[in-house]
Amino acid sequence: MYGVTKVYPGDVVALAGVDLSVEKGDFVFIVGQSGAGKSTLLSLIYRGATPTKGQVLVGGRNVIRLKRREVAVFRRKIGVVYQDFKLLPERSVYENVAFALEVIEAPQKEIARKVSAALDMVGLSHKANSLPGQLAGGEQQRVAIARAIVNDPLIVVADEPTGNLDPDTSAGIMALLSDINCRGTTVIMATHNQLIVDRMRKRVVEMENGRVVRDERQGMYCHEV
Amino acid sequence: MKFRTIRTLTSQAIKSLKRTTSLTTVLVIVACVLALSVFTLIAVNLTVMGQRMQAGVELRVYLKDDTTEALKNALEKSIRSISGVTKVVYVSKAEALERLGAQLGDENAFFFDDMPNNPLPASFDVSVRRADAASDIADRIRKMQGVDEIRYGPELVRNLVGALRVMWVITGAVAVLVLVGASMIVSNTIKLSVFARRREIEIMRLVGASDVFILFPFVVEGLLMGILGAGIASAIVFVAYWAVSDWVRAAAPFLQIVVDSEWLLRAALGVVAFGAVVGIVGSAMSVRKHLRVQG
Ligand SMILES: Nc1ncnc2c1ncn2[C@@H]1O[C@H](COP(=O)(O)OP(=O)(O)OP(=O)(O)O)[C@@H](O)[C@H]1O
Ligand SMILES: [Mg+2]
Repeated sequence: MYGVTKVYPGDVVALAGVDLSVEKGDFVFIVGQSGAGKSTLLSLIYRGATPTKGQVLVGGRNVIRLKRREVAVFRRKIGVVYQDFKLLPERSVYENVAFALEVIEAPQKEIARKVSAALDMVGLSHKANSLPGQLAGGEQQRVAIARAIVNDPLIVVADEPTGNLDPDTSAGIMALLSDINCRGTTVIMATHNQLIVDRMRKRVVEMENGRVVRDERQGMYCHEV
Repeated sequence: MKFRTIRTLTSQAIKSLKRTTSLTTVLVIVACVLALSVFTLIAVNLTVMGQRMQAGVELRVYLKDDTTEALKNALEKSIRSISGVTKVVYVSKAEALERLGAQLGDENAFFFDDMPNNPLPASFDVSVRRADAASDIADRIRKMQGVDEIRYGPELVRNLVGALRVMWVITGAVAVLVLVGASMIVSNTIKLSVFARRREIEIMRLVGASDVFILFPFVVEGLLMGILGAGIASAIVFVAYWAVSDWVRAAAPFLQIVVDSEWLLRAALGVVAFGAVVGIVGSAMSVRKHLRVQG
């Protein structure tokens, strides 16, 4: 993205001229204080929002210029994971994951195949018929991740996926995201979790007041001393 | 969209329709459409009655006794040239007397025997196409030379024209009111449906479901509400109208109520179509808005 500025109604400047480029297959942490603009940045990538100024290119396509119908098709290639999982409580684990394919009218056979593969990947095949409420937080997040990857996305965008989880469970989630990244999927993740960032030694982009203030290839959560 | 999808989404809409709020909405639509139907039926019947009466509207233009043959011919020509005039028939003094005699009957014919000369004026009987134009035409004829006096149609007919106009304006207003009101009620109910499923919608949007896919069940739900409401109302009106028209025919045969079952059936279908429009407009209003807000 180039020179991206996002101003919310009420003159809230969430992003002020951000330039950021992420290679295919990268793993990038976005860190920074609350209100720095991390979530806003992520939402521009999956076209949850459009910038006030500047351009956003994803896979060579100008995301801003997409028509409504194209936006829907575009989002099928991006998996999104949130802090609060966003699972449907009255549907089973299997149904939650399948939901992502059903609403884009994938063929039945393909749905069955892809959902089992995704549940395998996150290690929850044995809980396919459980309801989200019967699962632990980490397991729920795994279901959300399974849903995000079930359609083989190019990019997984995760906004504080470990925000509600304890350190051990978080480590499991990070291992999973790492695996997904190893298979060639780009992962962009916003987080406050210092431990995770420091341990993973991946690219770190630090934001402050809507600007990128640091961008390191193999960074730590804080400046190295 | 695939057939399987349509089936799934439709059954979803039906499930949603079974909620009490949706059923309440259907009942409100029934009430609205009933009100509209009553107004429309009254207006239609009055109009048909009016047309029957209007068909006989005539101006009688009395001529002055001293009118010459030439003036009479000129007058006839100018009356004919007025647009809206369909027929002009000359009734001479003698004919007028004959006509009156016929009306009074043989027993009273003696009444004329003593008369020194015929007191009745000659006249033109002028037929006009539309009753509501009669007074304008009369005004124009009155200014012509040789015209003594003009009489036309019973007062009732003229009043009826005005009353009909008011009736149709009211019916139109009720129709607009029902259309807007019912659409808004449907829209509100659908808003509740959307709200109940907002999490699903949010996820659908995130994983790339198309607008059509997201909209479909809500539009179907609105459509069903409209069709159901209008359908029930039509059925009620249909049955009630038969009963009422039977009763009127027995009690007041001169009213000649419109009972053309084909026409009624077509009207009922029209009402159901109206309900469908209400349902679609109502649901589309609220869902489009929801999608727009959510980007
Ligand atoms: N929808 C919105 N409308 C108005 N202002 C918003 C909106 N979303 C975010 N903001 C504002 O934009 C700024 C950046 O918010 P953003 O959510 O991107 O920060 P963040 O870095 O993700 O914070 P956190 O770590 O708390 O999630 C904040 O000042 C926030 O108040
Ligand atoms: Mg955030």
